[in-house]
Amino acid sequence: MGNEHILEIKSISKLFGGLAALEEVSFEVTGGEIKAVIGPNGAGKTTLFDVLTGIIKPTSGRVMLKERSIIGLRPDQITAMGMIRTFQTIQLFEGMTVLENAMVGCHSRTNSGFMSTSLRLPSARREEKRIQEEAMAVLEDVGLETRALETGTNLPYGQQRMLELARALASEPDILLLDEPAAGLNQYETDELSSLLSRFRQRGLTILIVEHDMGLVMQISDEVVVLDYGEVIARGTPEVVQNDPRVIEAYLGIEAD
Amino acid sequence: MDRKLEKGRSSGRGDYRTLLIVAAFIFLVPAWSRMIPGEVLHMDIVNVMVFAGIYACVVIGLNLLVGYGGQISLGHAAFFGIGAYTTAILCTRFAWFPTWLGALSGVLLAGLIGWLVGVPVLRLKGNYLAMATLGLGEIAFILFTQLKGLTGGTIGIPQGLNVSVSEIPPLSVFGFKFDSDIKFFFLAWAIVMLLMLLNINIIRSRVGRGLRALHSSEIAADAMGVNTSRYKTQVFVLSAMFAALGGALFAHFQRYINPESFVFSVSILFITMVVVGGMGNLWGGIVGVIVLTFLPSVIQAMPQWIPGIPASLTNFSNYSLVLYGLLLIVFMMFMPQGIAAGLSRASAFTGRRAKRLRDRIQARKYEGH
Repeated sequence: MGNEHILEIKSISKLFGGLAALEEVSFEVTGGEIKAVIGPNGAGKTTLFDVLTGIIKPTSGRVMLKERSIIGLRPDQITAMGMIRTFQTIQLFEGMTVLENAMVGCHSRTNSGFMSTSLRLPSARREEKRIQEEAMAVLEDVGLETRALETGTNLPYGQQRMLELARALASEPDILLLDEPAAGLNQYETDELSSLLSRFRQRGLTILIVEHDMGLVMQISDEVVVLDYGEVIARGTPEVVQNDPRVIEAYLGIEAD
Repeated sequence: MDRKLEKGRSSGRGDYRTLLIVAAFIFLVPAWSRMIPGEVLHMDIVNVMVFAGIYACVVIGLNLLVGYGGQISLGHAAFFGIGAYTTAILCTRFAWFPTWLGALSGVLLAGLIGWLVGVPVLRLKGNYLAMATLGLGEIAFILFTQLKGLTGGTIGIPQGLNVSVSEIPPLSVFGFKFDSDIKFFFLAWAIVMLLMLLNINIIRSRVGRGLRALHSSEIAADAMGVNTSRYKTQVFVLSAMFAALGGALFAHFQRYINPESFVFSVSILFITMVVVGGMGNLWGGIVGVIVLTFLPSVIQAMPQWIPGIPASLTNFSNYSLVLYGLLLIVFMMFMPQGIAAGLSRASAFTGRRAKRLRDRIQARKYEGH
């Protein structure tokens, strides 16, 4: 991706009954950057992700992914367009091995169906082999290759998070949405995650991250967007945002002069 | 990719081997069952096995839907019936109608109806889907009973119809007639093995992973790019077609049909077979089918084996539903993965497989590090 906007969020609002979970939220994500969305609990961060990935429809507003509107598309269609997410609460597939979990991640860019797989047509077998190799490659990327044949949900918590990341990467996305990837990780694991994300960025992956761990956010993000009560209250480089009086107020709940 | 991992992954290859073993065991049933004298056995094993094979077609598909895809159906007797009635009607109305084409028509019609019903119904989840499919089964049963001109009403086919033939013709392919128990036994189980082969191929593929993902978490499956609504419809259609194939075999084996064979309790029987055998277990369907198809014969043979058992206990149909219900409760509570999972756990416990797995992982750890 070049430097143009890979993702444009234009005046997104989402009302749940009378409650505005998101109100006229607008910002852009530039190709190749790591952008963070922060904000106190209930600020609308996960709702924003749900809108972006097609799980819920916004009340109004537009979302453009690579200059195409994605409002009204199904989640799997959006994933196929090159934007994939991870979940705040780990959502690994039960009963599947680590490798199989990662292989599901290849779904959006493969296409053998009931007919070709049930008959084991050459096309399906070739594709299966390719899926396996590519899934193994992403496991190596996050350091899970030695656990490939274990059941995913039996991994320690930190590695489960890494597996979710690997599964998303297996779709070869242009933009990766991470919903609190450091939640529940210890300091060592968080550092590892941080260097991993920097490495992905160097390869040209664009990342939009929702995170509570301020250390991580300040360390890796190019720009930070701050949400409070569903509205964007500040945006800018980590340093600028950190010193913004409105941000301090939102987090600490005190009047700033 | 390195060889070690490839071998490790191909648990699929193990399944094909198991399929061969299962096939060999089953196809030898007629041979060894003849060695046991009838006064000991008190049942016609080959005949019961034919019915088991017929039901296995239904249950393999249903296991794919329920066990792997996580979508319940309490109405699969409807598709079983559609398969049976379609071929029965065609082959008794038109004496020239090829029986295999009748069976194929039933399968295709069931697929079409499965699609028409599945698209709206599979938007429902859990209890609501259960209720909707239950309704489907009831509607089908009422149609089988009430469309008298077509189905012969409660009397059935062919006696309830004004046709020249006195029974549904036996299945015949290229002039070969499957007109005895033993011939039909081999036909039915060859078909079962073929369906199992398709089943294994599907499970060990992208599609199988998609189904299991959808079962585990629909939201996560969606987000990973799995078109969940399409998968649900497709697996529903496939299971409907498998069920109809079983139904067509049923009609041509029994030579007559009436709505009694497609009542609600038959749908429950199918689900019980899936649960008892093992939901989401490759071999669960076959295990559940064999156990539950033999159950009535075993119970009826009881007084001969153990003198003094009151005859009322041996009238299976009196309490079959109670027993299925009990089995469902007991298995759900104490053995939710069914008999087949227990069997495969036992075989894995011999440890060889586990050891090989450990060795492979160990070997991989040292490689490239």
